[in-house]
Amino acid sequence: MLNPLVGSPDDSRSMYRQSQNNFYKSGDKTSPISVILVSSGSRGNKLLFRYPFQRVDECPSSLSAKQRNPYALNVTGDVLEDQDGDSRFSDIILATILATKSDMCGKKFELKIDNVRFVGHPTLLQHSPIIQVSKTDPSPKREMPTMILFNVVFALRANADPSVICCMHNLSRRIAIALQHEERRCQYLTREAKLMLAVQDEITTMTETDGGPQSPFRQILPKCKLARDLKEAYDSLCTTGVMRLHINSWLEVSFCLPHKIHRIGGNYIPPEALERSLKAIRPYHALLLLESDKALLSELPLDCSPAMVRLIKTCSAVKNLQQLAQDADLALLQIFQIAAHLVYWGKAIIIYPLCENNVYMLSPHANISLYSPLAEQFAQQFSGHDLPSMLAKFSLPVSLAEFRNPLEAPAQEAQLIQMVVWMLQHRLLIQLHTYVCLLVPPSEDEPGLRDEELPLAARVGGRSLSTPSALSFGSPTSSDDMTLTSPSIENSSAELVPGGDSPLNKRMTETQLTSLSEHERQVILNIPAAQNPEDLRMFARLLHYFRGHHHLEEIMYNENMRRSQLKTLFDKFRSVLVVTNHEDPIISIFQSPMD
Amino acid sequence: MATRIECIFFSEFHPTLGPKITYQVPEEYISRELFDTVQVYIITKPELQNKLITVTAMDKKLIGCPVCIEHKKYSRNALLFNLGFVCDAHTNTCALEPIVKKLSGYLTTLELESGFISNEESKQKLLPIMSTLLEDLNATGACTLPIAVYKLQPTSHLTGSGCCSSLTIQGHICNTRNDSNTIHLKLIQLRRDPPIVQEYDVPVFAECKDLYIKSQWDLTTQQILPYIDGFRHIQKISAEADVELNLVRIAVQNLLYYGVVTLVSIFQYSNVYCTTPKVQSLIDDKSIQEECLGYVTKQGQKRASLRDVFQLYCGLSPGTTMRDLCSRYSQQLQRVDERRLIQFGLMKCLIRRLQKYPVKVARDERSRLPRLYTGSHSYDEICCKTGISYQELDERLENDPNIVICWK
Repeated sequence: MLNPLVGSPDDSRSMYRQSQNNFYKSGDKTSPISVILVSSGSRGNKLLFRYPFQRVDECPSSLSAKQRNPYALNVTGDVLEDQDGDSRFSDIILATILATKSDMCGKKFELKIDNVRFVGHPTLLQHSPIIQVSKTDPSPKREMPTMILFNVVFALRANADPSVICCMHNLSRRIAIALQHEERRCQYLTREAKLMLAVQDEITTMTETDGGPQSPFRQILPKCKLARDLKEAYDSLCTTGVMRLHINSWLEVSFCLPHKIHRIGGNYIPPEALERSLKAIRPYHALLLLESDKALLSELPLDCSPAMVRLIKTCSAVKNLQQLAQDADLALLQIFQIAAHLVYWGKAIIIYPLCENNVYMLSPHANISLYSPLAEQFAQQFSGHDLPSMLAKFSLPVSLAEFRNPLEAPAQEAQLIQMVVWMLQHRLLIQLHTYVCLLVPPSEDEPGLRDEELPLAARVGGRSLSTPSALSFGSPTSSDDMTLTSPSIENSSAELVPGGDSPLNKRMTETQLTSLSEHERQVILNIPAAQNPEDLRMFARLLHYFRGHHHLEEIMYNENMRRSQLKTLFDKFRSVLVVTNHEDPIISIFQSPMD
Repeated sequence: MATRIECIFFSEFHPTLGPKITYQVPEEYISRELFDTVQVYIITKPELQNKLITVTAMDKKLIGCPVCIEHKKYSRNALLFNLGFVCDAHTNTCALEPIVKKLSGYLTTLELESGFISNEESKQKLLPIMSTLLEDLNATGACTLPIAVYKLQPTSHLTGSGCCSSLTIQGHICNTRNDSNTIHLKLIQLRRDPPIVQEYDVPVFAECKDLYIKSQWDLTTQQILPYIDGFRHIQKISAEADVELNLVRIAVQNLLYYGVVTLVSIFQYSNVYCTTPKVQSLIDDKSIQEECLGYVTKQGQKRASLRDVFQLYCGLSPGTTMRDLCSRYSQQLQRVDERRLIQFGLMKCLIRRLQKYPVKVARDERSRLPRLYTGSHSYDEICCKTGISYQELDERLENDPNIVICWK
């Protein structure tokens, strides 16, 4: 066990780091057990390659000897299992069960045997018409292809999550598509298969003469590019979860396993939750890159889309997606798509754009341990500051404005912003927003009604507020205004309302208040502030936001209002409104995994 | 989620016809095509025998456990068979696996003891057995099957022919029917692994405790059940019930697995809580509303109003202790029991507790490394482990310049 009392603090920290590395390599449910390539053809079912190699001491011959004794208990299952619960199957049996019949091709293949689950995508090879070879010519210029179908199979632990199984199947399918293409173009797969089988035959004959079994797959690796690709796929899946293969040094197959990338502490964010979040992002959200833009750009392939490059160069923690669209000169929809792509690949997260009124607090899942690797990284990046002291400042919700000290040099402030960005990138902080709910005090003389009355939130249902609207193009004077400058896409409730007490306004207010019950309307109209027609009109207009699902900033964005206006309104009508602060459930997923 | 079995089949290797389906209930469910595709997984090579095999093909999932019994008496020297289930491809079949395994074990035993399967007559009994299985497992998730077995036994009444073992059908002697073998099968749904239970956690019954029959639980659990009231933490239960701490933890973890209890934190008036986004469900969801108002209303009082309760929850925020809440919202608390309010909020994740974590950021070269003040141990945990009170710990740490406190 790790003993933190031994040695200096550096020792203990490196010991904790080691345990983290081990975590990645040891068996966990999101890593595959092995990768297997089988084929079926005129020469029967063949196991072409598997990695990791089968243990040398288990040769199939010992298996059959045990089975012939009719009185012995059949414990072959136990013999083959190692601590990870993985039964190593012999090559021959794998070839039989994984090289399926042709009617299983083109679909997901899933087979579970005890505690191992095999998933793949068997693919038929269609052969191009063979060049007619004259019967007298003894040596055909091109070999007759003998492979009918092949299957790239991943063996997983049986209790792996269904979403992990889905992802592995996806990867198998992608590799199959690339291989099928290369086969059609230049018989790549047939050539590699021949090489693999030749090495296997060689080793088998050597084994029989020398005695002592050896693994033929070890010898295949240096000779076959495809084998090395499969090994690389397996290694990447077990460690980082990100891979880029180049099949035949030509076709790129890239893949990422979200379960490995989006990890916080010991949990991962399920892909479905990620997707749901991404579908719900709004133009007032911002994209925060998790690496420096230079580092990210260097990782992109040469033929990546120029739109992505432009986005990465122009994006910043203080710009919302709408502004990003303007600055990068791209359509908002495209920005959404590229942003979602970057988030999926773990290169960015969605936040609310940084501004001085943002209120941050420690995330409940933040690792605040003195010995965490984060503490070390922080100390390296920001010398003279230590992470726990910084985190302690966010124990109570604090807005960035509170850190502002007019006596401090502006460089200090800039560093503070950097530290906040760093903490957001490392999922240490959550942002709190204000949510408002309309709840009218129940009437005293109608106790019966009180129970049956549904609150406003349940009644006003399904109104779509997905379109932003704002009319003014004011220049940003305070950081707050940055969220307001957004060109209108569609007009929603913020129609150009003529001022004053016109009958049009009065009627509109009345219609907006009809969704309320009689009692509620009475109570609201009795509030002193309601006597002011401007205030009442504003209240009625914003009524549909008061069901606890739209935070202050969203209302500000949609209705093009200032924070101070809204806060004053809430204060005036506080006798019927209940206000609370909590994180935005749409983007809180990036700081805390779903329970 | 109910696991629905679409079909039960019995497949064997016929000496001349090869692998085939001998019986299936309902009839004709598995098409010729489907069986051809999957037969290699049903009647398998020796290496795969006695393994639970689940294969998905043509929108169906087949689960089976192939058995092979080797003996000279069989034609081809071996009897191969497989009793399996067929479900829809999207069903989660984990719960069926133990049943399939058990059935294959039983059939093997029956065959070894009395040739149940190799005998054509007795084999026919499989069909009604399979029908019963299908019906009962789909209806109730459990099935009890008595199987009458006719055992070959040498009789002393030789009818002059001198043959030894014969099953004669005469009156009271012959019918050497031994006791029925009864098979009990049950679908057991797997649940998620429960979290580790710490000594400072507080178990609270998720549903009314009268719903549970005490005698069904083990002795340890029975001994601690009276002490679970949603306020006593594990350490206290262990002390008062006189049960060793780790046993209590394991027993409560077991209750957690079955959803009998959930865990909340110790209640003190110095605690700080804050709302989660889920608090809005109190407004949106009528059933949670009803449950909440019923739970938190003080005994003997008129039902609390939703507005009061919601205001109380929303009044919880970082920096506000329970004491502050009580003084600020005394009017709302007239009909609400604040301890049950917090309990309900924690159980349904409407609110969460903010714990204090001390971190020792500066120390002399000579002093030891901090053991508990590392940011990984909350005040609750430290108090439980060291036995000092919350106030004492607070006094010690608040005035220590080397220690910062993080709330999360």
